Amino acid sequence: MGTIEAALFSKTRAAVLGLLFGRSDERFHLRAIVRAAGAGMGSVQRELKTLDAAGLVDRIAEGRQVYYRANARSPVFGELRALVAKTVGMGSVIRTALEPLAERIRVAFIYGSGARGELTAGSDVDVLVIGSVAFGDVAEALHDTQERLGREVNPSVFTPAEWVHRVRGGDHLASALMRGERLFVIGDEHELAGVVGESVVDEPSQQS
Amino acid sequence: MSLQAWLANQWLTSHRSSRDEVRALLAVADRDLHDATVHEVSVDARHHFAYNAALQLAHAALAASGYRAARDGHHVRTINSLRFTVGLDAQSVRRLDTARKRRNHAEYDAAGLISEAEVEEVLGLARALRQRVEEWLRAEHPGLW
Repeated sequence: MGTIEAALFSKTRAAVLGLLFGRSDERFHLRAIVRAAGAGMGSVQRELKTLDAAGLVDRIAEGRQVYYRANARSPVFGELRALVAKTVGMGSVIRTALEPLAERIRVAFIYGSGARGELTAGSDVDVLVIGSVAFGDVAEALHDTQERLGREVNPSVFTPAEWVHRVRGGDHLASALMRGERLFVIGDEHELAGVVGESVVDEPSQQS
Repeated sequence: MSLQAWLANQWLTSHRSSRDEVRALLAVADRDLHDATVHEVSVDARHHFAYNAALQLAHAALAASGYRAARDGHHVRTINSLRFTVGLDAQSVRRLDTARKRRNHAEYDAAGLISEAEVEEVLGLARALRQRVEEWLRAEHPGLW
């Protein structure tokens, strides 16, 4: 089965809509949108121009700065926001839900079909959280996102030390997850490498 | 919603419990509470035991109240009935229900990684429930204790 988002949106449009409608109560600087979309300035500007012309987004000029935000007065605002939440805006929805716990989270990312952009009707969203936060608090924080996303959200929570222990111990699932696609919601690849690297230094080598 | 409404929905069937049945269910729960602390087995197995202890306790409280869960959705009904039987708070019920889903993931999916801390949280909930069910049985169903 193909993905819903690929059928509906180009890659750049999906990224722009995902950011603006996934976090529809915020406005974003053009450069932030380009960065999040991982596309060229030119193609992002073209998308924004199209979306602005259709009244789907607002362009806000303040001095020399230009910002964009989802236009809540658009007649399809609610529908588009819901569609985005269920498809491309998933990362934003998860990130917003985890935000109150962010101080206790080093890295959090979506893995599996959600990270590969291959979610189908019955897929769950699998999330790995590494930090000093309790599993129950994460599950509680993510509980309401399930209704918004129309999917079950399945978190796993590890301390940095236990995660490294799993990866180094050759745990099949942990290793597969480290090799697979990741969609970061808190932290990034650099931070993840830091978590693994630090703990490796802390722990004596198991090899003789 | 109440247990009577669940009965009307055919989510439950009427049941007459006995002291032997309640004792047997609590004994299984105690065994599983112990097995969940055995570190020689996998984290997934310990999670399974901790969750199963809670399930047996919920089952005991439901039986003492005069019901059994119907076959369909047996686990989900039994866990969620704790709100009506021993009056467990909504957050604890939700956390035990999450443990139920996690157990399904660990057993049927490739995903569903369970950490040590997660097992300890479920075990803590199950231990607190063990005490609560006993106190409730003594107070509300002394004939079954």
